[in-house]
Amino acid sequence: MIEGARRGLIAAGLLAPAALVFAILFVWPQLGLFLQSLGGPPTFSRFLGDSYYLGVLGNSLLLGVCVTLVTLVLGFPLAFLLARAETRWAGLLLLLTTFPLWVSAVVRSFAWMVLFFRSGVASRFLQGTGLVAPDFQLIGTFAGVVIALAQVLLPIMIVTLYAVIRGVDRDLEHAAMNLGASPAVALWLVTLRLARGGVLAGSLLVFSLSVSAFATPSLIGGARAHFMAVTIYEQTLELLDWPFAAAIAAILLVISLSVALTYGKLLGEKTR
Amino acid sequence: MTSLRSPLGWVLRGMAVLGFIYLLGPLLVIVAASFSDTGYLAFPPQGFSLRWYHAALADARYLTGFFVSLRLAAMVAVLSLIIGTAAAVALTRFAFPGSVLLEALFLSPLVLPALVLAVALTLFFSANPIAPPGMTRLVISHLLVGVPMVLRVMLPVLRRVDPAIEEAARNLGASPTKAFFLVTLPVLRPGLIAAAALAFIFSFDEVEMALFLGSVRDAPLTVVLYGAAQMQMDPTVAAVSSLLILLALLLMVAQQMYANR
Repeated sequence: MIEGARRGLIAAGLLAPAALVFAILFVWPQLGLFLQSLGGPPTFSRFLGDSYYLGVLGNSLLLGVCVTLVTLVLGFPLAFLLARAETRWAGLLLLLTTFPLWVSAVVRSFAWMVLFFRSGVASRFLQGTGLVAPDFQLIGTFAGVVIALAQVLLPIMIVTLYAVIRGVDRDLEHAAMNLGASPAVALWLVTLRLARGGVLAGSLLVFSLSVSAFATPSLIGGARAHFMAVTIYEQTLELLDWPFAAAIAAILLVISLSVALTYGKLLGEKTR
Repeated sequence: MTSLRSPLGWVLRGMAVLGFIYLLGPLLVIVAASFSDTGYLAFPPQGFSLRWYHAALADARYLTGFFVSLRLAAMVAVLSLIIGTAAAVALTRFAFPGSVLLEALFLSPLVLPALVLAVALTLFFSANPIAPPGMTRLVISHLLVGVPMVLRVMLPVLRRVDPAIEEAARNLGASPTKAFFLVTLPVLRPGLIAAAALAFIFSFDEVEMALFLGSVRDAPLTVVLYGAAQMQMDPTVAAVSSLLILLALLLMVAQQMYANR
């Protein structure tokens, strides 16, 4: 019994620092956030009753959908080839794919600003096609934010897909082709079907990160960045309307939590 | 593999190449633009000059910011490693009621937007000024993500370590503490280094909490860069960005060399 009590004390001692950090800096502030958003003037009805703020929410959700689609379309071929490559280059290529994750999102967004401003290469190319006005620039546009944010989040999609595709038994693909399926049909019917959970998990992860992204939408979107995170930033640090900022943050929190729960459930089903 | 030699294989390859250019191209663009001998940001660069690197190194804001970031990330890495590993040992080596729930709670900041954490902490610190603004606030706030990152690496690592090796040491007369430090810890070392590296990189690159909770005097490099990028298209920002890309490359190579040793 004495041994048991001692073990209990050791466990409590080991857990105490983390428990303290989480109780004071996580549980308390998060509860405070909800209380702050509920106290005082009716903040939630102000958000949900104002077409401007509903537009901001819609913008962020649309950004999430667009970025998820772009990362999925560009990420799947890369992840598939990396997962199936047998050369020694495969390891190096995978490493290069994850390299951008080591660099701050501020730096990666700035790279796009260089390409997007009025005399930047990407904007000049679009001006040359004649489809846009001669003084058009991608900075401050929704398309610009999608292009930049999709690049920032692409490594995360690739890593998630890579892990799942590695787990798909390639003998099943061969079997499908031996039975007469074309490579395209085999890829569609076998690989994509079996990797479905991973595709969905990667999509949810990227969607959640896009909806709440701050640095890239703020830098590329500029003054016209009507996105959730940017609005929270303005309300907190510029307009100092903290109850309202707390309410918008709570809405974002609910979105992220519901996406995370779905994600956790999907991964749970996959491992079962 | 047969399907890779088919037309579909070539389509996939073409898209993968495009994806690669899209992924890494912008980083190369910024490095190229930083060498341009023009008073504005130019890509393709015109001429070759190191003047923007001179300007970057002469600008006290960037240098100060760099050292603030370095100090911040080092403290966050060390503290996260100690707190996170201790909690991971408790969660894997001791059975107690509610451990599953506690583990879920400890990992949950990883799925929450950094900005929401930042707002909640801003409101919290203004109501309860338990730490002065600036470095102290930033360090303890970054722990909120650093500790879960360490846990995510160390929990599976600790679960894989065979408890039998610790038992063997104890049967040979080592105390539980001695067995842990002499036998288990060396096995954990690669995991510990990976966890510390993750927490360091996170803290060094993070901008949201830094914007909300930092002070002007203790502004990390990401905050300085964020401000400068917003103001104007200054080639100095490209030079600083290139130096950061180089630093990330060196860190990644070092980590790989250690992992493949």
